Amino acid sequence: MAQSLAKEFTKGLWAELPPFRLVLGLCPVLAVTKTVENGLGMGIATTFVLVFSNLLVSMLRNVIPTKVRIACYIVIIATFVTIVEFLAQAFAYPLFLALGIFIPLIVVNCIVLGRAEAFASKNTPVMAIADGLGIGIGFTLSLGAIGLVREFLGAGTITIWGGTPVFDMTSVFANFQPFGFMIEAPGAFVALGLMLAVMNLIPSK
Amino acid sequence: MEYFELAIGCIFINNILLAQFLGNCPFLGTSKKMETAVGMSMAVVFVMVMAGIFTWTVDTYLLKGLGVEYLRTVSFILVIASLVQFVEMFLKKSIPGLYAGLGIFLPLITTNCAVMGACLLNISKEYSFMQALAASFFYAIGFGLALILFAGVRERINLARVPKALQDTSIGLVTAGMIALTFTAFKGMV
Amino acid sequence: MREMISMVVVLTVLTAVSGGLLAAIKSGTELRIEEQVLKFQKAPAIAQIFTDVSNDPLAERFNVETEGTTLQVFPGKLEDGGTAVAFETKGKGGYGGDVGLMVGINTDNDQIIAVRVTTHSETPGLGARAKDDPSFVSQFADLSLEENLDLKNNNGSIDAMSGATITSQAVCLAAIQAQELYKKLKPEILKQIQ
Repeated sequence: MAQSLAKEFTKGLWAELPPFRLVLGLCPVLAVTKTVENGLGMGIATTFVLVFSNLLVSMLRNVIPTKVRIACYIVIIATFVTIVEFLAQAFAYPLFLALGIFIPLIVVNCIVLGRAEAFASKNTPVMAIADGLGIGIGFTLSLGAIGLVREFLGAGTITIWGGTPVFDMTSVFANFQPFGFMIEAPGAFVALGLMLAVMNLIPSK
Repeated sequence: MEYFELAIGCIFINNILLAQFLGNCPFLGTSKKMETAVGMSMAVVFVMVMAGIFTWTVDTYLLKGLGVEYLRTVSFILVIASLVQFVEMFLKKSIPGLYAGLGIFLPLITTNCAVMGACLLNISKEYSFMQALAASFFYAIGFGLALILFAGVRERINLARVPKALQDTSIGLVTAGMIALTFTAFKGMV
Repeated sequence: MREMISMVVVLTVLTAVSGGLLAAIKSGTELRIEEQVLKFQKAPAIAQIFTDVSNDPLAERFNVETEGTTLQVFPGKLEDGGTAVAFETKGKGGYGGDVGLMVGINTDNDQIIAVRVTTHSETPGLGARAKDDPSFVSQFADLSLEENLDLKNNNGSIDAMSGATITSQAVCLAAIQAQELYKKLKPEILKQIQ
């Protein structure tokens, strides 16, 4: 039991790491990773939704009629997304402004609905939480990593929390000119594409 | 003139795929063949316009009327999901020819964040009904344009020799970045 | 038939629970969200407008009713003993949506003290300069409320930012709206300041 629990948790961190191994949910990956902070914030919000929607879908898996299951999942997911929206506004307002429309759009993130349909609806609540937590943390770390690459190259800074950079290239090299392309929209695609290629070089097992 | 500016803005400058990053899953998923790209684009135009109209009406008369704007996410996704279901049933029964072309793409559209995103953008920009209708249509055209352009490039890439690690999605993303770069040339036009 | 009923029942119960839960969470977080909006959106703009006031405009804020909507007014006590107010208006038709503008007005001589952009979704480097670069909004400082606060193209007295005419227009619209609101609500506002 404990072994399979650990397996469900760790698969999200490597073997099925979204968005690199599981190429799903790309929109937030591209849109909000201008800084590490935004990437991590988006990841945490998605993890919250994943864990709770997985839990609820799994608990109700014997109650929900098969024919309307997708509609039911959508209602459950949308409810938690709105809760995240409220919480972000109340406790992390600058992040809420930075993520903007992408918080409500967690509802159409294929990863969340995909986990509900493929995993939570067939497994016990404990397993579903482990799965949601694993995938969610993997997603958060990936977003953070992409944010790190883009922010470091594109702005020369690293911002983890609170809007103030913890590292600034201009303090090391006074004349540092950042590669602004990485912060722009095209840079997002290129950065993700190249990082995906690097991940492809490393075997998943 | 106002609608011309809206068209340029929605199709080129704020292209929903390449500048707003909405709807990337179908962008990468259905762009391997020109045929599927065209089918997906048509389906998106159809659903996005319908969804734009319905969600605008629901938001203005139901949610704002009752003062329950916080139920926007829940109600929009339900409207879109049931709309897609309804369109699918309708096409299957009444226009089987069109259904054969679009059918397989319709279920994918429920989780296409471009549709939901366009609806939310219409609301956040406080568009009037006609503006929301036009913007949804132009966003969808922008989606189709980017998707079809991308599919054309991708068909060529299939014939080229790509390093193993970069194959498939990876080179696709880099290519998309290049197309996005050309679209940034439209910035500041309006 | 049984399946049909269970489908309807499950969906209805689920949506009802969802609606109820969200309503509860909304009322639970409402006050805190309002505080956050004040702290992160309005407070920085107000601090830039009232550079030397002897009171706390945020703590002394009051509401004025106008045509069914509520206007939040922030009073300031100026150094020379005069009073001023600041409130926020929305300029329609920015490039990326509405532009929020905090307008500070000296109530003794009806002059604008300063204006600052609070919220916007304009293009970085172009329209966003309205907020980041104060040279555009500083044109409003010390203008009388009798002045035409429109762009020079429209016979006003404000120079548009180059490359961002649409944003400039939205800011001017917000300022004009503030001008009209102030003229209409001045007696009411003065009554509340005392």
